[in-house]
Amino acid sequence: MTVFTGLPILASFGLSFFSWDVISDPQFVGADNYVRMAGDAAVLSSFRVTILMAISVVVLQLALGLGLAVLVNQRRSDVARTFFRTAFYLPLLASTAAVSIFMGYMFDYKFGLINYYLQLVGLSSVPWLTSGFGAFVTIVLVAVWQQVGFTFVLFVAALMSVPKEILEAASIDGAKPWATLIRIKVPLISPTILFAGVVAFINAMQLFDQPYIMTKGGPGTATTTTTIVMYQSAFQNLQFGYGSAISIILLLMILAVTGLQFLAARKWVFYQ
Amino acid sequence: MAGLWSGGIDRRSFLKAGAFGGLTAAGATSLAACGSGGSAGSGGGADTLKMLLFGDQKAADTLQKSLATAVTKLDKKVTIEVTGVTGTDWNDFFAKVLTQLASGNAPDIVSVATEGLQLMASKGVAAPLDDYVKRDMSQLKDYFSDVHPSLVEAMMFQGSLFELPTDFNAGNMFYSTDLYKKAGIAEPTGDWTLDQFQSNATAISKLGSDINAFDWVVRLWGSWTSFMYANNANLLEESKYDGGDWLWSTAYAGNSAAQGRGGGWKWGTPTANSAGTVEALEYMVELKKAALSPSPDVGGGQTLQGLFQSGRIGMAIGGGFWAGGLHNAGMADGSFNVQLFPKWKSQRHLFGTGGYAIFDSSKKKDLAWEVLKLLAAPESFDILFPGNVTTPARKSLMTAERYATTGPANWSVFYGTLTDHPDTAPIPAPPYYNAMATALNQRTTEAFSGGDAKTALDGLQADLEKAAGAS
Repeated sequence: MTVFTGLPILASFGLSFFSWDVISDPQFVGADNYVRMAGDAAVLSSFRVTILMAISVVVLQLALGLGLAVLVNQRRSDVARTFFRTAFYLPLLASTAAVSIFMGYMFDYKFGLINYYLQLVGLSSVPWLTSGFGAFVTIVLVAVWQQVGFTFVLFVAALMSVPKEILEAASIDGAKPWATLIRIKVPLISPTILFAGVVAFINAMQLFDQPYIMTKGGPGTATTTTTIVMYQSAFQNLQFGYGSAISIILLLMILAVTGLQFLAARKWVFYQ
Repeated sequence: MAGLWSGGIDRRSFLKAGAFGGLTAAGATSLAACGSGGSAGSGGGADTLKMLLFGDQKAADTLQKSLATAVTKLDKKVTIEVTGVTGTDWNDFFAKVLTQLASGNAPDIVSVATEGLQLMASKGVAAPLDDYVKRDMSQLKDYFSDVHPSLVEAMMFQGSLFELPTDFNAGNMFYSTDLYKKAGIAEPTGDWTLDQFQSNATAISKLGSDINAFDWVVRLWGSWTSFMYANNANLLEESKYDGGDWLWSTAYAGNSAAQGRGGGWKWGTPTANSAGTVEALEYMVELKKAALSPSPDVGGGQTLQGLFQSGRIGMAIGGGFWAGGLHNAGMADGSFNVQLFPKWKSQRHLFGTGGYAIFDSSKKKDLAWEVLKLLAAPESFDILFPGNVTTPARKSLMTAERYATTGPANWSVFYGTLTDHPDTAPIPAPPYYNAMATALNQRTTEAFSGGDAKTALDGLQADLEKAAGAS
């Protein structure tokens, strides 16, 4: 952990106070990289895009994961449950890069399969990847599609661990399925929801492969996430110090939001 | 530690000082490895000449095998190690090379195209070849007599030569002869105009909604930038560095194509929102609005070749590398052809060229130079680039036999672009090329999603001014 996680973080923090292009000698520049970032429209825009994307992905991922888990949990057959668990989890095992390339073809405006079927049912083609809003939505959908399996599996396990006697008591008291879900099951699996939410948010704040491969961050900067700006600054523009400073701010943002999630959790998470 | 905080520190000490610079675990690991290895310089093992090739490892192995005997003959103690580095385009390849450099693992020789030359030369990473060229001029007479001076000039920076170009690609226009026939239009001739291009595109577009009359990808080479060049405009002010006479007066003495050449291209003030540049991008936006061309993707062009091969693109910008690309994709010879780019205000073309540079940190520069000469030899071309995947820099290699199996029939336009159009010039590639390419991608897609070329190019102008100021 120290070598592969702690050291790189410390190294990035140290490097963020330097100007270094890999080729020339590094120059200590104090907090200049952080000051510059405050006025850099590209970085600020990337923070906006990243936060909006992360919120969209997390909300959809949790809602869809929970919905699918509830539906699958209602299945009595173990075979069906195993089948759905495997089916929804499989995309997570695929390479994100490969999925992104494939999805890029699927969502192509002119030759994509999605628009082909839309046209078959009489709808017009959608500029999925070539309009700002379309590209944003597509990246979110692809990220959710690939990640939802993880949330789903967590929720299935959590729902299965809800004590049957509590559900039977609720049923005897006349609780309808929806009320049972909202008032009994969700509170009982709230620690799992918190865990899934935190993990999903941390992942979503670091989205790189999907936007980089499918849209290269475009059109314009519509899908340019902070990790893309970080990569461009460091590895393309040779501003490793600046790229490190961006990564440190991203890390602080993730820590801050995760902290807020835990604080808020005190009011809605129930531990048995 | 005082030195660390006093301003500049030595790069190698910096690397050793605890693997600074890891943006990721992998990055930090490679830096740490460098620190512990004790040598951040190039050359690797004392007896290994290291070369990075833009290509896959199979191609690298083939090259290594073909060079091994010659290298051992030159120096018995040395073996050559060629590593293939893949990438979707030169930007991608170059980013990976720089990552290796960051890890302190610099090679002795590296593939460098126009895109990366000025960065490497301006930072002192690449070693100038002037002294070697002067010394071995008699051996190189044959090479220079065979290579167009515009390619050589593109490999110069501030009067010095950094590479012997081995290949190039100019932005010509490929077209589907099948779709031309179906549309009932005559194939273009060398003097065709932009109006004819548009009229042909209009005819092809009527063949069906699943066919793009013209398609392209967003990048610096052969993108809307080809239209910009034909409109006598550019993203940066053009001039030439002084110097270079040492080469032109000897290697190209008496060659009229070498007249007026300088010491390399000097890219000046950004002109991304100049009237001609805006007009070129507006033209492309109008093509899209007229359904003659789709919103372009950003990328290396592989998808474009696939769509062209499947008969869904009428015309696309391509260079000599399209001959092998289309053939390898299964396109039959005769089902496509190539022509010069259409004339607008001029018929100026752009090109990019590639070759091999010696790292300044190499401890085996003399040997590396000998290898560079081997790589520039005629017999090396098909080992380096089997199957017409690029255009030879040596004119003598441009033969009917070369294109007999792949096509296109009009292959002579590849070199003709250089010899018959003296105003043909390299893509703008200043030392801040990578930042420029990123900004170009973003602003071009912005223009197409918003439909406003002028605003997007005003933004590009600001981006380029910022990048130029930071470089």
